[in-house]
Parts: sequence; structure tokens; C-alpha cells
Amino acid sequence: MKKILVLLILAGALYSCTKLDEKPSSFIVKEQFFKTQADAVAGVTAIYVSLIFDNGEQPMYGREINFLADMATDDLSAGPSAINPNVRALSSITYTSTDDRLQVLWRQFYTGISRANVAIDNIPAIQADTVVKNRLVRESKFLRALFYFDLVRFWGDVPLVLHDPTSTDLNTLKTNRSPAADVYKQIIADLKDATSLPPGYTGSNLGRATGGAAKTLLLKVYLTQKDWPNAIATAQQIINGPYGYGLFANYADIFNKATKNGKEHIFSAQFESNGGLGNTSTLMGAAFAGFGSNVPADIPADSSVYKQFSGNDTRRAVTFYQSLVNPATGVTKVFPSFYFGKYVDRSVLLTSAQSSINFPILRYADVLLMYAEALNEVQGPVADAYNSINQVRTRANTGTLVTGLSQSDFRDSLYAERRREFVQEAQRWFDLTRTGRLVQAVSKVGTKTNISTKNYLFPIPQSEINLNPALTQNTGY
Amino acid sequence: MEIYIHAKRPPVIFRLLFIILLFNISLNATAQTDPQSIINSRLLGRVLDSVTKQPVPGAVVRIKGTTHSVTTDNKGAFSFVTGQKFPYIITVSFIGYENAQLTVNGSPVEVLLKESLNKLNDVVIVGYGTQNRKDVTGAIATVPKENLNQVSSSVDNLLRGSAPGVQVTQSSGQPGASASIRIRGGNSITGGNEPLYVIDGFPVYNDNANVSTGAGSGANINALSTINPTDIESIEILKDASSTAIYGSRGANGVVIITTKKGKKGTNNVAYQSYFGEQKIAHQIPLLNGSQWASLHNDILTAIGQPASFTADQITSLGQGTNWQQSAFRQAAVQNHELTFSGGDEKSRYAIAGNYFNQDGIVLNTNFKRYSVRVNYDRDISDKFKIGINTTTTYSNTQGAATNTGNTSLSSPNLITSIVTTSPAVAIKDQSGNYNLNNPYGSIPDNPILDIVAVTNKTNINRSLGNLYGEYTLLPGLKAKVSLGADLINTKQNYYAPANTANGYATLGLATVGAATVTTWLNENTLTYDKTIAKKHFLNVLVGYTTQYSSGEAETAGSKNFVSDATTYNSLQSGSQTLTPTSSAYSWALNSYLARINYSFAHKYNVTLSGRADGSSRFGTGNKWGYFPSAGVSWNASEEEFIKKVSAISNLKVRFSAGKTGNQEIGQYQSLATLSPINYDFNSALVTGFAANRLSNPNLKWEKTNQFDAGFDLGLLDNRINLVVDAYYKKTNDLLLSIPIPLSTGYSSSLQNIGSVENKGLEIGINTNNITGDGFTWKSSLVYSLNRNKVLSLGSRQTSFFPTIPGGTLGLLQPAIIKVGLPLGTFWGYQTAGIFQNATDIANFATLDTKANTKPGDRRYVDVNGDGRVTAADKVVLGNTQPKFIASFTNTFAYKHVDLLVFLQGSYGNKIYNALQQQLEITNLSTNAWADIADRWTPTNPSNSVPRATNSPVAQSSDRYIQDASYLRVKNVVLGYNFTNTLLNKINVKQVRIYVSAQNLATWTKYRGYDPEVNSFEQNNTAQGIDYGAYPNYRTFLLGLNVTL
Repeated sequence: MKKILVLLILAGALYSCTKLDEKPSSFIVKEQFFKTQADAVAGVTAIYVSLIFDNGEQPMYGREINFLADMATDDLSAGPSAINPNVRALSSITYTSTDDRLQVLWRQFYTGISRANVAIDNIPAIQADTVVKNRLVRESKFLRALFYFDLVRFWGDVPLVLHDPTSTDLNTLKTNRSPAADVYKQIIADLKDATSLPPGYTGSNLGRATGGAAKTLLLKVYLTQKDWPNAIATAQQIINGPYGYGLFANYADIFNKATKNGKEHIFSAQFESNGGLGNTSTLMGAAFAGFGSNVPADIPADSSVYKQFSGNDTRRAVTFYQSLVNPATGVTKVFPSFYFGKYVDRSVLLTSAQSSINFPILRYADVLLMYAEALNEVQGPVADAYNSINQVRTRANTGTLVTGLSQSDFRDSLYAERRREFVQEAQRWFDLTRTGRLVQAVSKVGTKTNISTKNYLFPIPQSEINLNPALTQNTGY
Repeated sequence: MEIYIHAKRPPVIFRLLFIILLFNISLNATAQTDPQSIINSRLLGRVLDSVTKQPVPGAVVRIKGTTHSVTTDNKGAFSFVTGQKFPYIITVSFIGYENAQLTVNGSPVEVLLKESLNKLNDVVIVGYGTQNRKDVTGAIATVPKENLNQVSSSVDNLLRGSAPGVQVTQSSGQPGASASIRIRGGNSITGGNEPLYVIDGFPVYNDNANVSTGAGSGANINALSTINPTDIESIEILKDASSTAIYGSRGANGVVIITTKKGKKGTNNVAYQSYFGEQKIAHQIPLLNGSQWASLHNDILTAIGQPASFTADQITSLGQGTNWQQSAFRQAAVQNHELTFSGGDEKSRYAIAGNYFNQDGIVLNTNFKRYSVRVNYDRDISDKFKIGINTTTTYSNTQGAATNTGNTSLSSPNLITSIVTTSPAVAIKDQSGNYNLNNPYGSIPDNPILDIVAVTNKTNINRSLGNLYGEYTLLPGLKAKVSLGADLINTKQNYYAPANTANGYATLGLATVGAATVTTWLNENTLTYDKTIAKKHFLNVLVGYTTQYSSGEAETAGSKNFVSDATTYNSLQSGSQTLTPTSSAYSWALNSYLARINYSFAHKYNVTLSGRADGSSRFGTGNKWGYFPSAGVSWNASEEEFIKKVSAISNLKVRFSAGKTGNQEIGQYQSLATLSPINYDFNSALVTGFAANRLSNPNLKWEKTNQFDAGFDLGLLDNRINLVVDAYYKKTNDLLLSIPIPLSTGYSSSLQNIGSVENKGLEIGINTNNITGDGFTWKSSLVYSLNRNKVLSLGSRQTSFFPTIPGGTLGLLQPAIIKVGLPLGTFWGYQTAGIFQNATDIANFATLDTKANTKPGDRRYVDVNGDGRVTAADKVVLGNTQPKFIASFTNTFAYKHVDLLVFLQGSYGNKIYNALQQQLEITNLSTNAWADIADRWTPTNPSNSVPRATNSPVAQSSDRYIQDASYLRVKNVVLGYNFTNTLLNKINVKQVRIYVSAQNLATWTKYRGYDPEVNSFEQNNTAQGIDYGAYPNYRTFLLGLNVTL
């Protein structure tokens, strides 16, 4: 009897194999996704997330892009709290193709692009409200264009990837560099489609890409390409369009939590500490390093950054701080020098990486200055150009620009205005390179004399070339 | 939609084999009849150990030439009532002793058994069974008893120096912390490299993630610490493919078979074992004192153009300043109590043990406690049917050193770094005796001592591991065994940082709790067939089917901003803001068919063929099943007449084996493209998005390791000298490697089967009985292992990559590289070339920064490629964390009642990245510095090794911090005394032993950190050999008592 029992157990065991199928219960698998409208919304949300979050790294807007666009210029230098040698190499213009920050930012752009590609390819097939679907696809195209625009300006010819890979075979994962012109063609096509986005949002959609944001980015593309007529036309559409843009009366409100997504903000990377959720920006650690004797990771490149502001310029006290009140003790701490203040959220000084201040990617002051610049290039310093720059100057309490300037003097004034207006807003390097002033400006800083014409483009990350030797390196690296 | 990934059909051949065997079973069984008892004689006697004169219970006394036998009772006594007439010859045998034979004539006898020098007649425990050591073809090492008697919170630390080919690296000195074990080197780069533990037949992979909920802080808790090491009777280490292939997909990293203490026939023992001890840190690391630090602070200020902040008088008056290490470390107590009841009769064996272990850590407020109960029971229900159960239940409680998350401006990854980096110019307590929170140099008000004592960081683990079996003899020699087992782990972690600590400061009190449950089921069904034909052919066949299933769940919750610290983690609702709760779940399954044939011809020529087919849920569709065969042969040359003539050679065996084993330790769901939730804020409200983390890889399959082993066992001079030598070659193919893919795809890596790694090595074990006899004895044991590891390929697209190193500053420096042609654990960076002394040096030599930014007193690096600049292209191999060889040397002396064990252990040629020193040499205005900084470069002190004072000089991976971690240490010394038998007999006690012991008594090393046995990143394969403020190792002194009633 017992023997039979044993036999039965054994025989039963043979056919009672545990199933080897994998059915994860705490993950969603890619193949299960993009089936509903909610999936489509969440998929597009993920593209926005690439602006502000990268697991284990610092965010794209708010930190990584600033290493290239601000620290590799005459505005910012790496302070003692910048412990990464690669950051210091960007600061001293000694970076090479193995600089890890280049690799991180490159990856962040392509991660965003990949998420956009997936959304653009999958959303149309979903059974859902066509209006919502179209909007989501256009938002995705706006974001894809933004990432490619940053890429093509930093690196020149870059791989133009528009679809998600379908295999893990290494040979199919490689993409060679496309000419910058082709990348721009795609950017413009995406942005033109995105201009049909709603002019604005209310409620829980506030912060999404708008038609105005697409037009503003398009304006920036035209300006970068020196396509002045298109730039002027686009700027006029933005200024006169249904968007309701205007300057804040108070420059400080651009970096004020209470006035987020206000009339001057055209498109911002949204940060919200929100009780510990959301924002993991470490920008604050970079600009503020506590009330002890630490010096922040981002410091002014030299004294000229501060000195360019006149005493009555309201932007100076927003751009820099020298003293802060310690909320724990109520004591005001005076620091030995000026540090950057735009993103230092005074209400959470003791909680690092919890600043709720948005990062303005596109704002109306930029539209005005771009419009003035394009007008000046085509027609010289006409009244409309003066009017535009003066709006920005008046708001900053620096008075109107001297009248009767030559085209070239007006241009110089405009460039100087841009520098004052956009410190730490990831504009400086782009402005210097598109106007051919990079070497001349940066070499003035004593610690950055290594600058040369090769720095007009960053080197393609060496790791990418290792994986695809067909990727050529930029000249000089 | 649901995803179904269908497994391939189970291998038909195995099913067939199994079924054929089942139906071959004859349904007849021969009945046995008891012989008629005729009493003709009665013999009384006792069996004692020839040296210790301790009774030997459970010894078998047999009349020669008959099957009639009795066993000795717990006093070693026996009474033989038999039909034989005097005189007759009896043989007395017991495992571990030489057989005794004597003629008896009726008067009571005292039989003295001599401990066996020749282990060949021992039975060795192998996978799914046992084998005569003589017939073994593989490389199997038995951990000596001396190693098992060491004091340790977990079994992995007992393996150190225990057997050739086993490398144990302790991660830290935190009580309950883990060690990383490599058997014959690491095979895998991203997969697991820890061996498989088989505890009383239950396979367990020691994954510390099993006891981590995500709510804890600091070092992982060692999952193996839940197994009480004093319960262990024996440990066998299976090293080559012939012995491990039976564990198939889990055999590639070697197998550690742990057998716990069982009762012995004819005894009823009560044993009490205990020890008490003190532990303390061996030495502190050298730091600047108060005056030196103030002087550095002034120099940094001068360097950045600011006025000095300390006057000369202030500098002098600071003197030594605060020694934070002194205040953080303590003399810590450890104690262990174990009560065991064990014994058995003709039909049953039992062992019931209770254990209490309590170890304070050498850092304040750290502790590990374990309460465990073990019950082992076997019962012969009939001649043919046997059942048994092995079960242990443990509750452990760890208060661990928490990670410091508060201080982010400079990396302060843990409690140790925060102790050593705090300025010596700051007082620990203020004038009223409260902890001083006013550190004017730090970024936040914070006191590292308060952080230690005030933060709660508890991990409570309940673990029940048990299996029960029934074994039925279907035919003589044919046994069927069915076993069912379960491993249930429940973990709860509680964390609270009050508002006045670094971790709770920003959040006004931070509480998190987490729970994790891991449930593993196992069913094993085996048939074994033993057959001896013509007393020459010995055959043993095993077939089996097993299935193992595991599922895990974990969740965390937390809140912050507490009005009062009184409720700590027990009232999350008292925090005004909640943290995002998390939960997760996983499961995996493994179905296996296994088979083994052992054949021996006259115990002279032996063959073992074994194989396993494993189906694992962890792999891609179509690759679920893997097949792992092996073969081994051995030749007992000493059985040949021509060797028998050589009198010096008492034993000679030659072994060869080859086979294939696998590795499935890649975690779950790696073949799928999973999506992660990520958050964004629209209009300041949180919304959740989903994005794919990686590409799916349906082709994912096993890592396969092919291993070849050749070895010999040599016994000389009547086995007084025993030598075991093995040489092996292992090549792991289809490495489960997370390889980088072009970032332009939107993904950074893909887990693929690509690349290969080799390990080759030599192992020597020598055991000698230098002096034997009834008086003074001296035994020595030398264990030597040499392993050479090399990455052979990383796929066709790359030859090297930098693995991710966790931990702040360190991760950015990319100190480790995985490169074809180099071993795993290779350090990579710049070679230093002293200090730029003057402007001429700067002009003449290549600089890392621009010449304009380089000043006299800055560190100089070697421009290896001679291009006039120091760039990443000048980084070179700086050393390797893998030792050239490791060795241990144990000497055991005994004289009458006194015994002495001296266990030396060492490692040669391995390097450690001393990241703690590097952190302390990034001089800045807020933290303390390594003592060398006192001798920094100044125009008047032209140091050529320590740069000038600057505010946070840029850190680079350089040879300055790659330090020789070779060491030789007196790992353990035990002096024991066994009380005499006659004395004990009067009080009815069988054995009393007292001993004193010292662990880590002395260490010789050039390593400059706390201790050369350190590994900050624990089980992380690619970040081995890095010391980033790991909890220091310590020295222990113990007093112990063992009593057996």
C-alpha cells in the first residue's frame, strides 16, 4: 500500500511541473502597453519626465544641459563642491570625448527621443478620442524636436532615429550620423505639426507643450539657421497670436513657485518638490551648499558675470545671492562671494534637491530679444527692434537703449542683454556659438583659456563610437 | 492583454528514463525473518577515544563474520548478548575512527578507538546522496571541524581558509553583515557569483535582497545569518563539474552542502555550549588632529584668497581636538548560548537545539541578535520505510549602521565616513552635556555620534527552513525518496531618524517601514539504486525530478515631518507628509530532471556520469531549458600491486573530470521589456508616466561554464601526510552580460548572452600528522589556492567597459574596468608622478588641467602616451582586487587534556581601492582629512606625495589609492582544556571543555585603511575590493564552555 502511495506521488510529480511562463505582477510589459487612451497619456508623460528626471543621474534641464550650455562658457565655473573631474574638465574646457557628462546628456536626449518615437508610432492605432490622440502626438513631436534641436546644436551631425528598435541584434541597433540639415528638416517638420497644438491649457494640463511653444522653438530654429525672414514672421505670429504672452512686471516672478506657468513662461521643465515626490533636481545643491563653509558646485566663472549688471538692474539680485537666512536659526549667513540664486528655493534651504522652481526653457523675453535680433539683421535697428529690447530692459529697470545705434552696435547691445537676461538658463553657449563669439568670449576667463574653434561642437561620446565605429568624430577631438 | 511565454516541452528523454525506472520496480520484496535467539554468551565493554578517553557513543560492535551487532550507549558502553561462544573476535567501528578488532574471552573489555588518519573510508556527502570517499571522482573538500568551531554570526565566514579554492571576503564588520564567497573564482560579470548552499538538501542561493524591503538603510543584512552556524555538523564544498553538474543551472559557482547535527543511535545527550567575548577595533585610521586641521583650514582659505580664520594661538589651543573615532567605537560584547538534546534508539534519531546569539557591534548602537530552534528527527517506520524532518526557525534582529543621506554637499555615504570626516575642531557635546549640533563648518547642523545613537535602523527577520522526507526501499538496493521543503522568510525593517539627526533634519523626522516575504517551495523525487555484482562491480544510480518555486513580495511606507520623536516608526500617521508607498512582487520557478551513475570496479577504477536538465522561468521563450552533463573518472593507483610495493605510498588516487554547469542568477523578468512608472508635474500635481527600461530579449539563456579538473590524492607514510592537489580550467560562455548598446537607440544596455570569462587555478591541501600517539599530538593543515581569472571576450562590439560603481564621488571616477585580457576586479586610472614643484615642472611636464590652471604643489600624473597632455587616454591598469594566491595554515596541538589551535590565514597580491582615504584627501573647508595631509606641499615643504592645500582638489582614480592589501593574520587561536573523565563520571557528566579564543589577534599588512578584509559593495560583482568607509573589522577575545550530560 505504502509503496503504491509512493509510486503515486512520484508519478504525480512528473506531471505537476510548475509553469515556467513569466507573468510579472508588479511590472507592465511593453507589449501590453499603448492600448488605451490612458496608456497614451502616460506614455507621453514619460517624454516630459525625460526633461527633469533620470534615474541615478541629474536631470537634463536643471543640471546636465547647464554643464554644456553654461559651464563650458564664460558664465559658470565648477566650484569646489563639483566633485566630478568630468564636470571640472567642461569648466576648464579640457573635456575630451570620454567626458561622462557628454555621454549622460547624449543619452538623456535619445531617451526622450525614444519615448517620443514610441508614442508617435503607437498612439494613432489606439482606439481613443481623435482630438486627444492628435494632441498627444503633436506634444511628442514638439519634445522630439526640442531634443533633436539641442543635439544638433551641441554635436552637429547626429544619428536621426525616428522609430523604436525591433530587435536586440547589435547590427540593427546602430545608426550613423545624419547631416545636420536633415536633422533640422525633421525638427522643422515636427514643429510645424506641433504648432497646431492648443494655444494654452487649463487645470491639470497646465505645463504641456502649446502651439505657442512650438512656434517659439521654431523661431529659435530659424534664428539659429539665420533664416531671418521666417524668424521675423514667426516672432510676429507669437507676439500677435492668441497666446496672451507678456513679461512679468517683476523679473523675480520668472523663478517664483507662486507664478509658475504664468504669462511669460512659454515652456518650462516642471519641478515640484511636492512633499518629496517629483523633483529630484540637484540644482540647488549646485547653487547652494549649506550654511557651513562649503562652496557650491556652480560658481560665477569670473567677476565679469556679476559686474555686467548695473546697480539698479533688478535681475542682479535674482541672478545672485550673497546672504541667506538660515530658517532653522533665523540667523543671516553672509557668504564670502556671490553665488547663483535663480533656482535656490528659499523655502526648502535645508532640503537639498527639493527646489520647486521651474526651469524656463522658452520664455517671452527670449521671443522679444530674438525678434529684435532678426529685425536688426534684416532691417537694422528699426523701431520694432528697439521696442522689443526696451520691453526687456524696462522690466529690468535698466532704462531704454540709447537710440541711433548702428546695426553692429545694436547687435552688441542685444547680445549683452541676452547674457544678462539668461544667466544659468542654458542659453549662453548656444548664443555664443550661433553668433560665432565662443572663443573670443570664453578666452577672456583666466581659467578657460584652452578654448579653441574645435569647441564649437562637442565631441561625440567615445562610447558611441566604440559601439559603432562608423560614427565619425568631430574635428579636433 | 496578458503575455504568455510558453516553455519548451520538458526533455522527453528524462521523462522516459524516469518512467522506465519506475515500472521496472518489481512489486515483490523479500521478507526477512529474525533468527532464533539462543543465548550463549554475554559481553560487557566500553568504547573510548584513544587520546581523549572520552566515551564514543554510537560505535558499532560486531562479531566478526556475522551480521550481529550492537551499538554503544551514550557512555560508550555496550552489552552483547549472543548465541556465539567465547572466544570470538569483535570488530568495533565508528565514523572518523580506525576500525578496532580484538578477541574476547568473556571478561569486560575497554576498546580504545584511534582517530582515523585515513579519511578514505569516510562517507562523503554529495548532491542528492552520499558516496565513499574512495570512489569519488570529483573535487570535493570537507571543511575541517576546527573551522566549524570558530565564532561567527553566519556560516559564510566559517569557510575562510577552510578548503583550497574557496575565497571568502568579508564585506564589513557590522554584526550580521555578509561575506562574498568565490569558489574557484568568479565566472560571471553581471550574474550572481555566490555559490549555491544546500542546507539539509534544500538549495538556497544567498541573495541578500531576500531580506531587504527597501526601507532599511546601510549595509545589507546577510540572509545566511539566519542559519545558526553552531547547528552545523559538516560542510562539503563541491568544486568541479563532476560534483556540481547535478545542480545544473546553479552549479557553476560551486556548491556548499551544509548538514546539520543529527542524533546518534544509542545515546541521549544534553549539551550546553556557550561563550562570552569582547570585541574591539584593531586600530583607528590616522586623521588630522585639531591643530593640524585648523592650520589646513587656514591654508585653504589662503589658497582661495580669503583671510585665515584661526590665529596661531587658536591653532595651538585646539591641540588634539575631538577624536570622533574614539567616541564612535566601543568595546562590544558578544555571547552565545546553545542547548542541544540529541540522541536516538534503534528506530529513531533526534536532535533538538535552541540557540541565542547576541553580538554588539564595535560602533555604538549596532547589534545583531538571533534566536533559533532546530528540530531534526528521523524514524525508521519499518525496515523499508523511513521518514524524517529537518527544520529550523530563526528570529533575528539587527540594528545596523545607517547610511547618512543628510550631508550631500560632499559625499558622505555612510556612518563611518561621517564619523571620520567631521572636523576635530568641533566638540561632541556642548557645555550642558547635550550633543553639540552646531558644526559651523558642515552644511547642516549635525552630530555624527548623535546620528549613530538616535537613528533606529532595525531589521527583523523570521525564517523557517525545513524539509520532510519519506524514503522507501522498494527492492534491496532500490530506494525511492520524496521530499517536500519550504523556506519562508519574513522581513520587517523599521527606520526612524529624529529631527535632530542628519537624516531627519531636512524632513523634521523621517520614518519608513518595510516588509518583505519570500516563500520558496521545493519538491524532490529521487530513485537510487545500489548494486554490487560479484563483489567487484559497484553501481549506484540516481534519477530524480525536482521542482522549486519561489515568490516574493515587498512593500514600504513612510512619512515625515513629525511633531514628536516619541512614536518613531510606529505611527506613520503622526507624520504630516507621507512618502510614496511602494510595493513589488516576483516569482520564479525551476523544474529539473537529474540523473547520476557511479560505477566502481573493485574500488580501483571509478566513473561518475551525471547530468541535469533545468527549466527556468527566468529565461527567454525558447531558451527555458538547459542541459548540464558531466563525467568524472578516478583511479585508485594505490590499489595496484606495483604501488602497494612502494611502502612510502599509502594512498594514491588520480582524478579527472569534465562537465558543464550553469548560472541562472540574473534576477527575474530580465528577458522582458518592463515599463517603469516615472512622475511628472502638470500644474504642480503629480501624474505618472510609463516608459520602457530596456529592450526585450527573448533569446536570453543560461550562462554555461565548462570545467576541466585534474587532481590527485596522495597519502604518504601510512597516511601521516596527505596531499590533495587539483588543477582546473573553467571557461564560462554565453555570459549574461548587460552590454552597452548605442545610446541613440534610447536604451543604454541590453542583457545578452555574450562574451566569456576563464578561471584557471591550482589548489593544494596538505594535512600532516606531525606527531601522533597517546600523549602529545601535532597536526598541521595547509591550504593553498591560486586562481587566475581573465575576461576572454565581451562580444564583438567592445573590448572594455566601465561598470557602474555606486557611491557618490567614487562612481564618477570610474575606478574599475572590465576589459578583455584582464581579470575582473581590475582598477583603472592615472599613475601619479609626484608633485609639480615649480613653474619649470609645469612647463616641462604634461598637465591634466591647462598649464594656466596648474600651480606648483598640484599633483602630477604620468602622460603615458606622450602626447603632451594628461587625458583619459593616459589611464592604465593600476592593479587588481584578485589575490595572486590565498593560503591558510592551521596547527593543532594536544597534550593530555589541553589542546591548542593556531589558525593563520592570508592573502597575497590583492589590491584595495582605498576610497575612504581618497575622500579624506579631498581637502576642503568643512571636513577632516587623512593624517598625511599634515605633510602637504608648501613652498617651504616640497613634498613629492601630498599636494598643496586647495579647496576640493579634483578627485581622480589614481595609483595613490590602489593599495596593497596582502595580509597575513592570526585568524584564530583557541586554547582548550578537557576535564578528565573520572572526575566527570562522579557527577554524571560526559564532557566538560573550557576554552579561550582570540580572533584576528594579529595582522601584518601594508594596507592603510581599517582592515584589509573589506568589501564595501558586498555582493556587487563589478565593485569588489573597494573600501568606502565600510564598517571596520574587529578583534575578538572569547571565553567558552561546553558541557555534555
